Amino acid sequence: MPRNLKIILGVLALAVVVGLISFRSLHRRMQRLAESRAAEEQARHAVLAPPISTPTDVVAKAKIFWAAGADRVAAVEVEMPLSADPVERARQLLQALISNPPTAGQRTLPADATLSGFYILPDGTAIANFSDAISSEMPSGILSEETAVNSIARTLESNVAGLRRLKILIHGQEVETLAGNVDLTGFFDLNSVAAPAPVRTVSPAPPAPSPAH
Amino acid sequence: MLRRNLSAFPVPSRRGISDILCAVRNFVLCPALFLVAAACCLISVVRPSRSLAQQSEPQPAPQQEPAPPAPTAPSGLVIVLDPAHGGTDTGARGENGVAEKDIVLQIARAVREQLAKQGYRVLMTRNDDSNPSYDERAAIADAYHDAIFVSLHVSSTGTSGSVHTYFDQIGAPVPVPPPAAAPGTKAITPPTNGLTAWEDAQRPYIDVSHRLADLIQADLAQSFSGSPTASVAAPVRALRAVTGPAVAVELSSVSGSTPDSLNAAEGPLSAAIGHGIAELRQAVSTGGR
Repeated sequence: MPRNLKIILGVLALAVVVGLISFRSLHRRMQRLAESRAAEEQARHAVLAPPISTPTDVVAKAKIFWAAGADRVAAVEVEMPLSADPVERARQLLQALISNPPTAGQRTLPADATLSGFYILPDGTAIANFSDAISSEMPSGILSEETAVNSIARTLESNVAGLRRLKILIHGQEVETLAGNVDLTGFFDLNSVAAPAPVRTVSPAPPAPSPAH
Repeated sequence: MLRRNLSAFPVPSRRGISDILCAVRNFVLCPALFLVAAACCLISVVRPSRSLAQQSEPQPAPQQEPAPPAPTAPSGLVIVLDPAHGGTDTGARGENGVAEKDIVLQIARAVREQLAKQGYRVLMTRNDDSNPSYDERAAIADAYHDAIFVSLHVSSTGTSGSVHTYFDQIGAPVPVPPPAAAPGTKAITPPTNGLTAWEDAQRPYIDVSHRLADLIQADLAQSFSGSPTASVAAPVRALRAVTGPAVAVELSSVSGSTPDSLNAAEGPLSAAIGHGIAELRQAVSTGGR
C-alpha cells in the first residue's frame, strides 16, 4: 500500500474517532440546554402566574387530566392546596394543569398560556378566559386541540362541584376555534358520562344567510 | 422572592460562549462528520427536487368538471373534499418547514383523482392556496341535494403514520327563553320559519356522519398501524355547517413524518373513503339523505 494512502487512511480514522468523541459531548451539551429551557419556563411561570393561595386552602388530592399517550387524557392524582371557593379552586387547578405536568410529554396546554380569569354563573356555566398563548402556541390539529379542551373540561368536572358547562374565551373574546380546528363558539358539557360536547345556544332569530335547502 | 425567581433566568455567560466555540472547533476537526453532512445534504437536495417536480405537474382540471360516470357510483352523489386551512393559515407546521395546508391540498388532489376513477363526482372546497371561510366551504356541499363532505387534515402531534376520523360532536341545544314582556304588552315569540341555523346544520346528520366515520376508520385502521378502529366525536368547526354526512380525516403528523410518507397515504386514504361511502350507501339504501 502506498505511504500516502496509509497516511490518508490514518488521518481519516483519527477524524472518525475525534468525531465520535465530539458527538457525545455535543449530545450532552444539547441535553443541558434542554434542561435550562425547562428551568427558564418554570421561572417565567413563577413570575407571571404566582401560586394562588386563599384563606380556605386545604391540602387535598386533586385529579388533573394530562395527556396519556397520543390521543387521550388520563387523571393524575396530585396533592395540592385547594380552596373552598369554587372559583379560586378552579383557578388553582387550571394553573396546575398548565404549569405542572409530570413530564413534557404529558403537557396538554402551552407552557406560556395563562388563565386570565375564571367565573361561574348562577346556572352553573363556567367561563375560563385564557391568554392569547393558548391559541398561538397550541400545536394545530384536531387531535391536539381536542386533547387540550378535554384536559380542561375533565379537570374541572372532576374537582369542582356544581359546574354544568364550560365556555372558553381567549383574551376576553369568543373565538371561532382554538387553533384552527376545534370549535370554541359553543359550550362544553361538564359532569356528563361521555366526553364533553359543545352545546350550541339556539338564538331566537335565525342568522342569515341560511344554508340551501 | 421576586429576586430569587428572576435569578433563575439563564444569563449568557463566558462558559456558554466557550461551549459554542468548543463545539465549532470539534466540527472543524472532524472531516468525517463533514462527509456525513455532505451526504445528508445531497440526499435532502435530491428528495425535495423530486417532490417539487411532482408539485410543478400541471394542475388537475377545474373542480366543477363532472367525473366520467361509472356503474359503481350513484349518479346524484357529490363528494366534497375539503383540504383544510390555506392562504395565511398554514395549519400544522413541521420542523422541516412542511405546512399542513400544502400537504392536504396535494392529498386532496390525489384522492379526488382516485375517487373520480371510481365514478364519483368530486368537488374541492379549494384547489389553490386560498382560504375560504368554514361556512363557504360548507356551502359548497350544502348546494347539492346529495353530498358527502370530507375534510382532510394533518396534525402536529400523534403517533406518526396513524389516522383518526372524526364526526361532529354536538351537545343538546340550550333554548334561549323569549324576552319577558313588559306589563300590559303581549309577549313576542320568535317566528318559526323552517330555516336551518348555520350552527345547527349538522345536527340532523350526526348519526349518519358517525356511521360513515366508523366505516372509513375501520378501513383506515387496516392500512395505518397505530390507528384506532373506531371514529372519534370532536367539535370540529369545519363540519358544523354541513347539511349532510360530514367527516374529518386527520393524518399524523407533520412533525413525525416526511412529506413523501404523508403523500404516500393518498392511495389507502382514497380507498378507505371510497369504501366507506359505498358501504354507507348500501346500508342506508334510501337513495337520498
